[in-house]
Amino acid sequence: MRQFFPVEDLARDERFVQTNMAERMKDGRTAIELKETSAKSRGASKRLTPDRHDASDAARGLMHGIMVGEIQALEGAGRTAHDFAAGDGTNDTIPFELKLDMARQAWDEARHVEISAKLSDWMGTELGEFAENTVLFEAACSNDPILRLAGVNRALEGLAIDVFTQMKEFGDIAGDPYLEFCEDWMLADEVTHVKMGSDWLRKVTANDPDRRTKALEFQQVVDKLFSFGGARGESEESSFSLAKRFRELAGFTDDEVKTISEMDAEALSERRAQVLAYREKVGADAPT
Amino acid sequence: MSNATAETPDITVSPAEFSFVKYDADEIAAIVAELARLLGISNPIRVMIDETTPLAKLSEELDGTSADATITLHAESGALEDRKHPMSFSPENARESLGRILLRARDRLRPDFADAPRDLDLSLAENAAWDTYCVGRLTRLGVASNQQRWRYNHRNRFGFGDHVDRAFDALWGADDLGWADVVATAGG
Repeated sequence: MRQFFPVEDLARDERFVQTNMAERMKDGRTAIELKETSAKSRGASKRLTPDRHDASDAARGLMHGIMVGEIQALEGAGRTAHDFAAGDGTNDTIPFELKLDMARQAWDEARHVEISAKLSDWMGTELGEFAENTVLFEAACSNDPILRLAGVNRALEGLAIDVFTQMKEFGDIAGDPYLEFCEDWMLADEVTHVKMGSDWLRKVTANDPDRRTKALEFQQVVDKLFSFGGARGESEESSFSLAKRFRELAGFTDDEVKTISEMDAEALSERRAQVLAYREKVGADAPT
Repeated sequence: MSNATAETPDITVSPAEFSFVKYDADEIAAIVAELARLLGISNPIRVMIDETTPLAKLSEELDGTSADATITLHAESGALEDRKHPMSFSPENARESLGRILLRARDRLRPDFADAPRDLDLSLAENAAWDTYCVGRLTRLGVASNQQRWRYNHRNRFGFGDHVDRAFDALWGADDLGWADVVATAGG
């Protein structure tokens, strides 16, 4: 069976259209407030709660993003289980127990895909209705399995913890029993997946501090990408926040959580600057 | 402003040229003209698109209730967007979005909608109820829509229960309600 599968070759039927982060960032439109200190002009908080005017459509869009994310997480975990030979963790090998964890994760993700597809149907979304951002699988294409653990299990699955916490709360407030229940169950799995990443990263790099540093740096790059220009953060402009308690349970240290929180704020500021530059270029007035 | 086609001289779309999205003002005007014919609306119509946001909020306003009162439709760009190809136009989504608020504007021309709050003053629940009533009628006129999407929207505002689903079905299937009926029917 083929190893090291490029993102372009992911199997999808004609319902799905793929995009990537570079394409997404070309969009000069934004719903965020462009002046950090100004009063809100577009109205209420952007947090994804049922009191947003576009709550159900925003939840449908995020749910579709979760579903394609689960597909890519399944593909990523499956690749990591298969792409590397069993060994002691050096020379492109991974411990056999790590392979077993990746196989278990692939099984979890397959179940999440089914759950997410059914939730999408329940919410009135067709499969492939929204563009599929392939950034998640791209983080799973490193030649170093430890970088994959950092990028996928810690950054991506960490993001999943944040998103699922928000969606569970959405279901709770809206009174949607299926959404709340399903998100709660998937959240429990995601905490386990992040913990696997945290534990294996520490174990495999115990005698290789340079490799650990490199992996943690890669995680930061992916974490910043996954903040989607400020979609995650403590600001009211962000759709969802950092689920600090669950991240702690998953093996993140307080310093790591603080660093991610700072990167989220940085990503929001960068997105503002990017949008303002685009508006200047096309000669459009910035909303006040 | 872009004047629409010769057959529909009373429809204007703003902006005439788009910088943030790949939309065409004439194509939008043609869709609005087609919808106006479908809904039997002869009033002048102005369409104002906010292309600086990807959100999808819609609203309408009228400057009177006579046959020559101007209807103004406000749409954020996401309401007309192809969700598979961000920043690209979707005629299907435009038809559903603009048809929905055009039908709402037509309702406002009726005396029994005189008490309906202005669009921006509607509560989230009132807004959802009116959407259900409008989209149900639109689908019977041949405009494509996903009923489950609107059922979910309705449930989010009125609750997840059988009585709410029955209320949704009643509103979706209704054709000749006044504002008070829409509000009374919505919650079940």
